[in-house]
Amino acid sequence: MPANDAILARALASHRHRRAVASAAPLLLVLVGTSAAAHTGSASGGFVGGFAHPIFGPDHVVAMVAVGLWGAFLGAPAIWLLPIVFPLVMAGGGVLGILGVPLPGVEIGIALSAVVLGLMVALAARPPLWVAAVLVGAFAIFHGHAHGAELPPGADVVAYSVGFVVATGLLHLAGIAFGLLARWPAGRLAVRAAGGAIALAGLAFLRGAG
Amino acid sequence: MSGLLGGMLHPLAMPAHVLALLAIGLLIGQHEQRFIPLAAFVAGLAAGLGALASAFATTAAANVLLVVTTVSALLVALAYPVPVLVSVPLVAIAGAALGVDSPPEAISIAVAIATLIGTGIGATLAVAIVAAGTGFLGRPWQQIGVRILGSWIAASAILVLALRFVRGQLL
Repeated sequence: MPANDAILARALASHRHRRAVASAAPLLLVLVGTSAAAHTGSASGGFVGGFAHPIFGPDHVVAMVAVGLWGAFLGAPAIWLLPIVFPLVMAGGGVLGILGVPLPGVEIGIALSAVVLGLMVALAARPPLWVAAVLVGAFAIFHGHAHGAELPPGADVVAYSVGFVVATGLLHLAGIAFGLLARWPAGRLAVRAAGGAIALAGLAFLRGAG
Repeated sequence: MSGLLGGMLHPLAMPAHVLALLAIGLLIGQHEQRFIPLAAFVAGLAAGLGALASAFATTAAANVLLVVTTVSALLVALAYPVPVLVSVPLVAIAGAALGVDSPPEAISIAVAIATLIGTGIGATLAVAIVAAGTGFLGRPWQQIGVRILGSWIAASAILVLALRFVRGQLL
């Protein structure tokens, strides 16, 4: 029964994801001062279900915001290239997840994305644009795979996908908006501190995923 | 949803059609000469609606529309200067697929025809408005916004295609 196997595999992946996020919850409580809603995968379909899916996954939220922060920190053309590259590559990862193609270390990859991207911001790293694009794109595959694998079976396909992509994009834009503070010395410090906080959260996620 | 007004709102009530109209509108809006591709879209749409009125229907229309939406949105995201020889057939196919994928829910022939005419008007207006609006966005950050929107549409359409494939609705 390949279909049942696929459903079981997705349920296990979702469980691992929940466990990883839950173990990082205490740190997130400190860092963002909000309840640590586990990335449970939305139970409902439609636009709202798709929109809520990335929003209620703290590990996704911090990584998406980090992409925006880093883009803003790097300036043009990274500020627009990264938010364009990420959704497209993430969709590729989502396709792998939807098709049930196994991707090893998804949870570790997602946690690492927060660590690495947070560190890039915290250290004010300015690698060549192609390096930044490849790095962000590689992590996007893990995020997309997790979203695709956890898609609820009865979801309204189009509305769910649009909601999911729009939420991801808005998280990027939130990161970019905050990252624009880096134009001022105090703001630059705040953005780098946010990057450090994201990296710490990523370490907690990594501990849970391991 | 039937009649002229219902037909006009029909493309806006279907998320897949909204994605397609946005992608086509943005693509045309990025063109220097917008009239030719817009005319091609209207011609394709008229052909598709005409085919539907002649009792031609195919379940492949929705998939064709998704594929064209994906390609158009990718071109928008890349901001690649698409030659008219490429964009015209692309938007014409989109128009035709959208027309064929818009069967009216009507109980009389007169209402069905009014609905189809409304669908044609609604879809044309939507694409024209998006294209004109895009044409006005001349500042660099505005053009970046258009490209980001294109990437979002392409990503959504790619995911939908994959989901339709898994559910056995694609082939």
